[in-house]
Amino acid sequence: MQTAEQVPVTVLTGFLGAGKTTLLNRILTERHGRKYAVIVNEFGEEGIDNDLVVDADEEVFEMNNGCICCTVRGDLIRILGGLMKRADQLDAIIVETTGLADPAPVAQTFFVDQDVAARTKLDAIVTVADAVHLDRQLGEHHEAEEQVAFADVVLLNKTDLVEADGLERVEARIRKINPYAKIIRTAHCETPLDDVVGLNAFSLDRVLEVEPDFLESDHDHDHDDDVTSVSFTSDRPLDLNKFQTWFGILLQTRGQDILRSKGILDFAGHDDRYVFQGVHMLMDGSPMGAWPEGKPRCSRVVFIGRDLDSMGLEEGFEACKAA
Amino acid sequence: MQSGLTADLPRNRGFAETEIERRGMRLELGAPVTGAVMVGDAVAVGFGDGKIRFFRPGAGPVAVEAHRGVVLCMAAAGDHLVTGGDDGRFLQISLSGDVEEIHSFGTKWVDCVAASHGHRACSSGREAHVWLSGKRNSAVLEHTSTVGGLTFDAKGRRLAVACYGGATVWEHGGRRWKSSKLVWKGSHGNVSFSPDGRFLVTAMQENALHGWRLRDKGNLAMAGYPSKIRSFVWVGGTPHLATSGADEAICWPFDGKDGPMDRKPVCVAYGGDQMATCVQAVPGEEAVFVGFRDGAVLMADLDESKRAFVLRGSTDAEVTAIAVTPSRSHVLVGDATGHVLWAPLRARTGDAYARNV
Repeated sequence: MQTAEQVPVTVLTGFLGAGKTTLLNRILTERHGRKYAVIVNEFGEEGIDNDLVVDADEEVFEMNNGCICCTVRGDLIRILGGLMKRADQLDAIIVETTGLADPAPVAQTFFVDQDVAARTKLDAIVTVADAVHLDRQLGEHHEAEEQVAFADVVLLNKTDLVEADGLERVEARIRKINPYAKIIRTAHCETPLDDVVGLNAFSLDRVLEVEPDFLESDHDHDHDDDVTSVSFTSDRPLDLNKFQTWFGILLQTRGQDILRSKGILDFAGHDDRYVFQGVHMLMDGSPMGAWPEGKPRCSRVVFIGRDLDSMGLEEGFEACKAA
Repeated sequence: MQSGLTADLPRNRGFAETEIERRGMRLELGAPVTGAVMVGDAVAVGFGDGKIRFFRPGAGPVAVEAHRGVVLCMAAAGDHLVTGGDDGRFLQISLSGDVEEIHSFGTKWVDCVAASHGHRACSSGREAHVWLSGKRNSAVLEHTSTVGGLTFDAKGRRLAVACYGGATVWEHGGRRWKSSKLVWKGSHGNVSFSPDGRFLVTAMQENALHGWRLRDKGNLAMAGYPSKIRSFVWVGGTPHLATSGADEAICWPFDGKDGPMDRKPVCVAYGGDQMATCVQAVPGEEAVFVGFRDGAVLMADLDESKRAFVLRGSTDAEVTAIAVTPSRSHVLVGDATGHVLWAPLRARTGDAYARNV
């Protein structure tokens, strides 16, 4: 036996009745050769077809991580620790959250807890949305907005029950919150499983694939609580110190409202691309090799969050450009 | 923002195989070692496949099929062992291998166990269940969050339960259980009374320990560790609280009125660039065994001027358990990949050890 590699963890979010359990059972039955552990909340839907199902309590704990305080899922730290002691190697772990859960503490657990980060990795946040009810849910529950904002994949389910223009409308609503998530339309969660598991969406490599959608950056919204996204680019290299100072203060002071951030940065005097991604005030970043030959070097940053207008993001980013 | 240093840092190449390893029994048991405790003259070892193995001097290990999943926790209960598993069972196991189920929690894990003076306790979720000596029925003690740690004091009079937000000390007075709350922000795990019962210490979710002086609930914060403190143990007569979580064992003095308050810890058994993951007291001595993430185990006196002695070389697998027989005749080291070293300690183990004898 050798020390195991990091086991991928898929987080399944979505309101009650959207079809999380249907998707879960599809993953478990179609990938029957693989060993999965499923972590469910105790109030969850019944009937999960797997040998290894663990009840979780969704205990959200505040944790002081140096100078910042963030929330983590205490039960998840305990359960993942226990699962890593098993004799048999797990191929993957799926965490199902309750419909009203904020996905941030789950994601933050993988950034903050050393033991969790050493043995497991967040593969992707998959949000199952009910095409019939999502529009209303987004208006009524901020958790629904957060689940869409955090998603790497939105599985827009029950599309057979909605007219085409209704679908366009709900998809536009999702895009407005999170233009970077992949939207998959399904009737009964029928989609190739490679679209939802094994995505490696939180690896820094994947940030390189982020293509900001400029059409979406002129966001208009109904009220200030809405989650929206903005992106900025610069052909001029950035100043490392200026960026660090600005971004550090930004995450510290406004991290509560910034749900996710990603970027590829071109720093003056540095040959490598610098790539980062963040969840609220936590971020992970590293140089990711040289810029591709023959392509222009261009910095891009993306923010998804609330009240982004008030943060002076554009001015702040502009001011980071090197002289 | 991280600096993203990619340059090759000078690396400690670890420690070479030792004489003790060569003389000892080395086993590959196929499942991570999850814990080890001393029971009578044996060392009981828990594994990730649900097995318990008893090691005795002069004999091979005896395996017992205990849990259907991971042995999550274990404690000595007189001449028995109590264990909790992810199969939801709280078990009592005799040295001859008889397994008795004390209670089953169904699909809920049994996360912590404790035993003392015939009392047995376990936790599952937010509840601690206590079977007092000779009683058939358990008392159920409720807490506001999942229990992270459970322990009796040395006299078996008090039960401490660590949780999110602090710890609760329960005392059984006649018919009822009385509780006293110790509050400190954050999530608390492993918990232990000092041998004299004056202090209570917990390992936190953050890279820190917390302590309370029970007389006045005075707080002791022991912080500054680079990683989580998975293991701590009381050592010697002072006593010192030896702790993992740094690149050497950090040992806090708990004598005097204030314990370690405003005092420096003793730091021994430097492991190069490796983090200590497991500590164990050398019985009857002012010395500690320290296991590291790379599999090495050092033995050191609580004296910064002395050199540590290498007990086991680097193997690349994290040390998860160390136990010693009460007579100090044998030591057991277990790791995260299921390797166990069971070795005699006394047989010419080199100068460094001889000087202690």
